Amino acid sequence: MAADRPCFPTSIHLSTPNAARMNRALRMSRRDMLLGAMGAAALTMGAGRGTAATTPADDDAGVAQFMALSQRLTDRDALDPRIGHALYAGIVRATPQRHDQIQKLHDLMGGSTFGSARELARAAEKADPAFKDLIHEIMTGWYRGVADQKVVVYRSALMFDITKDAIYPKTYAAGGPFYWTRTPPEVALPKGEPALSPSKFVVEPT
Amino acid sequence: MPSDQDLSADVVIVGSGVAGSSIANELARAGISVIVLEAGPRVDRQHFVENFRNLENKPSYQGPFPAVPWARHPPDQVTPNDYLHTTGPDAEAYQQVYLRMMGGTTWHWAGCAWRYLPSDFELKTRYGQGRDWALKYDDLEPFYYQAEVMMGVCGPDPAREDLGSPRRQPYPMEALPISYAAQQFRKLISEKTPYRVVHEPQARNTRPYDNRPTCEGHNNCMPICPIGAMYNGSYSVYHAEAAGAKFVPNAVVYRIERDSANKRVTAVHYYDPDKGSHRVTGKYFVIAAHCIETAKLMLVSADEQSPAGIANSSGHVGRNMMDHTGVQVSFISGDKALWPGRGPLETNVIDNFRDGDWRNERGAYLVHMVDDNQVDLATQLAISKGYVGRELEEQIRYLASHTVRLFSHNEGLADPENRLTLSATHKDMLGIPHPEVYYKLPEYTVKSCEHTRGLFRDLIGLMHGTDEQWTPGYFPQDHPAGSTIMGTDPKDSVVDGFCRTHDHENLFIASSSVFSSVGTGNITLTVAALALRVADTLKKELAHA
Repeated sequence: MAADRPCFPTSIHLSTPNAARMNRALRMSRRDMLLGAMGAAALTMGAGRGTAATTPADDDAGVAQFMALSQRLTDRDALDPRIGHALYAGIVRATPQRHDQIQKLHDLMGGSTFGSARELARAAEKADPAFKDLIHEIMTGWYRGVADQKVVVYRSALMFDITKDAIYPKTYAAGGPFYWTRTPPEVALPKGEPALSPSKFVVEPT
Repeated sequence: MPSDQDLSADVVIVGSGVAGSSIANELARAGISVIVLEAGPRVDRQHFVENFRNLENKPSYQGPFPAVPWARHPPDQVTPNDYLHTTGPDAEAYQQVYLRMMGGTTWHWAGCAWRYLPSDFELKTRYGQGRDWALKYDDLEPFYYQAEVMMGVCGPDPAREDLGSPRRQPYPMEALPISYAAQQFRKLISEKTPYRVVHEPQARNTRPYDNRPTCEGHNNCMPICPIGAMYNGSYSVYHAEAAGAKFVPNAVVYRIERDSANKRVTAVHYYDPDKGSHRVTGKYFVIAAHCIETAKLMLVSADEQSPAGIANSSGHVGRNMMDHTGVQVSFISGDKALWPGRGPLETNVIDNFRDGDWRNERGAYLVHMVDDNQVDLATQLAISKGYVGRELEEQIRYLASHTVRLFSHNEGLADPENRLTLSATHKDMLGIPHPEVYYKLPEYTVKSCEHTRGLFRDLIGLMHGTDEQWTPGYFPQDHPAGSTIMGTDPKDSVVDGFCRTHDHENLFIASSSVFSSVGTGNITLTVAALALRVADTLKKELAHA
């Protein structure tokens, strides 16, 4: 008989979801168990040796490349560097190979002139299909505010910046009583084409 | 101060959700001593709000409410599940979620406060299907109103919009002004179909009420209203405590003790998180622990006197599991922008199929147009389609403003084969087995769902919809019912019309577990009305004792 393990502090329910996600007691998916095991191993290895040599957030050159790529891939001149730091750290932490891929994609960008996000993304997938996942992660980071399956920013995610004339992020409404009866802006059918090949869309479970 | 070993009250209640806490409040205000034992912890609203904001998977209703190991609840609706183990041909359709926390599962309800229809209580008599309740609509009507006042329900003027459940008083609060998206949906249905969209009765403030603020339209009723404009069980907990009721968190009841004649309950026993055992005595006992946990507790408490479990001489404890197992689809409307997600989450319902002569062969249903902020989903969808940069932003705006989500509550039917048992393979850290449910969707419900799919296809056509995303199979609605079913005959039911167990004269059950049929409206208001009727019975009996 499988019995749940009985060794938890009584305040465990006060963990945040991000902490809970890492806690095998609360959420024992295979991925989390692997992450938990890796985390434990890393802690053991790091014990007595001070902090690790370089964490992704300290990688200034990597962050600079990430910011340059992000500006091109969002077609935006200005992005918040603090958010960029956190997104870069999350993306590289989740998938260490991204460190080199970001460098390579940055090199590719520097090798030609790309006038738009779409041009760069198309060229990237053509050069190496593996860039597609990286570009998805960069888009997910800036627009959803998520990296490494964790929330980096919620209210400040770009998806809410571009819809702020119509709607509020959940739990942050500020339109006054019954604002929702007013007519929201019309939105024309977009004409733009996708840059990357389509991927299977998986709705997360409720 | 008496020690825990000496805990005692006139009435001992297991479970602090809307049922248990509202009974506690009524009794405490009448000067009756009450102890409420809650398996889970006490957590404040702001902590759940913070959890929600930091949750990556925003549609996860359980996400902001991590369970404690001594009072597990299902982590999600995924099969196989870490806690609620479902089996049978429609196992995935019964993957319910609920909360074991002070205040109960209404932390993440949407405030939909339907009364059942008179016909819902007489399904067998009127349509030859399922079972009748051991009470009639009129018996419950005064308690429906009491529950509406307790929660603060807003609803339409019955003279203008009759929802089919006769009322002696108007709704306690005036109707909610509906969102632009809902206005457009209502117009379309009214002009292009023979159906109608009605204002859903909601436990949501359209003015300050019960020291809680007016709804500000945060669009997060599920999983957590950030400001408490929507009623949930925690408010009845606070009121009951103010009136003198004692609530004990982290108290996992595992045994129901009876006298030597097995006629009266004498005590309940609970474990604390360290598995220290405590005994609580009383004159009356109410199990109000949610449909699934209530049946589980009755079965776990089996002993020599009652080898099949408490109150189970009929063998019906754990049987007759029902739900509003439904159908769900999202699509992109080809018409004007709607921008769903401005205002509360669930306010509009097509109610034409809640009742009709066809109920002699297929189940009733209602349809929600879910007014849900679609920005996050639109963003994920647009990224998966391969958009980047400026084109991605255009897509997000378009998809977020044109996504429509519909889902239905389809009527289940009491079938003794659909059964909750104790897991033979999984126990929690206290040694209490996890619940397991066998589920086969009744043909009656399957036919109802087929009818709904046809309606949804028509509506998608009317709205020039594309990109349909149908939830595979059936959609569990988290409205479990029937596990300690009500009836007049002790041979085939567990409680009588007053929710008193046939077997034990001072043991009551306050939960959707007593439902004999499940109708179509969300179950909570009926749970609350039944609970308030239990409180009324207890007050009368204790006054004469």
